[in-house]
Amino acid sequence: MDENRKDATAPASPAVGRRAFVATALRLGGGLVAFLAGVPAGAAEQADYDWTQHRWAYLVDTTRCIGCGACVRACRTENDVPGGFFRTWVERYVVSPEASHVDSPRGGLDGFAPIQTPFTPTKSFFVPKICNHCEETPCVQVCPVGASYRTRDGVVLVDGERCIGCGYCVQACPYGSRFLSPETHTAEKCTWCYHRITKGLRPACVEVCPTGTRRFGNMLREDDPVRIAISKERVSVLQPHLLTEPQCFYLGLDKEVR
Amino acid sequence: MEPARHVFRVLLLLLVAVVIFVLGRTFLVPSSYGEHGPYRYANVAEQRAVRAPRHGGPAACGACHAERLKAVAAGAHRAVSCEVCHAPLARHAADGAKRAEMPVDPSAAACARCHRKIDGRPAAFPQIVLAQHQGGVEKTPCLDCHDAHSPKL
Repeated sequence: MDENRKDATAPASPAVGRRAFVATALRLGGGLVAFLAGVPAGAAEQADYDWTQHRWAYLVDTTRCIGCGACVRACRTENDVPGGFFRTWVERYVVSPEASHVDSPRGGLDGFAPIQTPFTPTKSFFVPKICNHCEETPCVQVCPVGASYRTRDGVVLVDGERCIGCGYCVQACPYGSRFLSPETHTAEKCTWCYHRITKGLRPACVEVCPTGTRRFGNMLREDDPVRIAISKERVSVLQPHLLTEPQCFYLGLDKEVR
Repeated sequence: MEPARHVFRVLLLLLVAVVIFVLGRTFLVPSSYGEHGPYRYANVAEQRAVRAPRHGGPAACGACHAERLKAVAAGAHRAVSCEVCHAPLARHAADGAKRAEMPVDPSAAACARCHRKIDGRPAAFPQIVLAQHQGGVEKTPCLDCHDAHSPKL
């Protein structure tokens, strides 16, 4: 570009005009894009919510879950989850030292019916499942169009406008938390009810949980009950060997749970 | 001068290519893309505004039904949010005004979701086998004897 610069300094050279043209074109182009998009620059800045003051975390105390499915129903009505798909679901584990049985009829939407197993169970429990909102997100890493991302406050979201519905993220998620919506043909998942938590409400599943199994908190607040529970109790995460750093923590997990 | 003109032409072509690339990129990449990472930052605001919250929580119900909320808070169902048995608040009220009747499922099946005895529930949680409950009550609606808001007799 040295040659070019020499040209630009020469008197009456067309290069100056070219530079001015490029600058103007860039400015015009940018302005046109902003105009077409219909949003003035900086409109996305949030006045009433500061995401640097939050880092959300979820805590599931499986020892309290009664498998009523209120969370699954609440998620459905709060988020218009398409039929047959789930942003959260509840699994039932019926276990003996020799055998185990796992089921989740309709995700636990209608609760659970009594179950007969070919073995005599010695323990049984429910495990609610949800997107783990991992810190090291496999789903975000594989997205070819930048539709999946993790927000500053720790929530993994899908930009439905950019998503092309390729389904890579659905395969990449080791927890089965994502699905391709038959309505929008884009990837959908739990958002921790981002439209609620940024307005001071709790996720719908936490809001309706009658036993305190599901809890939600802000790790940046020293006195947050969930932060205290996670820091003092012996919590575990699902599939820790995958090093995805889930931000959904569990109390009372069994070795049978994946 | 001739060799210099060749160089100039190549540089001009290069410049045109750069301009086309930059212009194309400006048009193709959304305006807020990359502000906080490789994603469209405007989507964060869109996600916040995706819909108005539909579940209000017991406190929101208490704004109109304070007495009822107080009664529930004194009973065994104190931890059960209104919206577990009733519908989400948004179906019933918006902006402090009633817009539709609040539906409720009074069936035994609704009670059974929590209280039917099945494997998996914590042993301390109250669970019912209808055939053994009060000498067999399969045909009797639970609410004939129990008050759903304060179920302990």
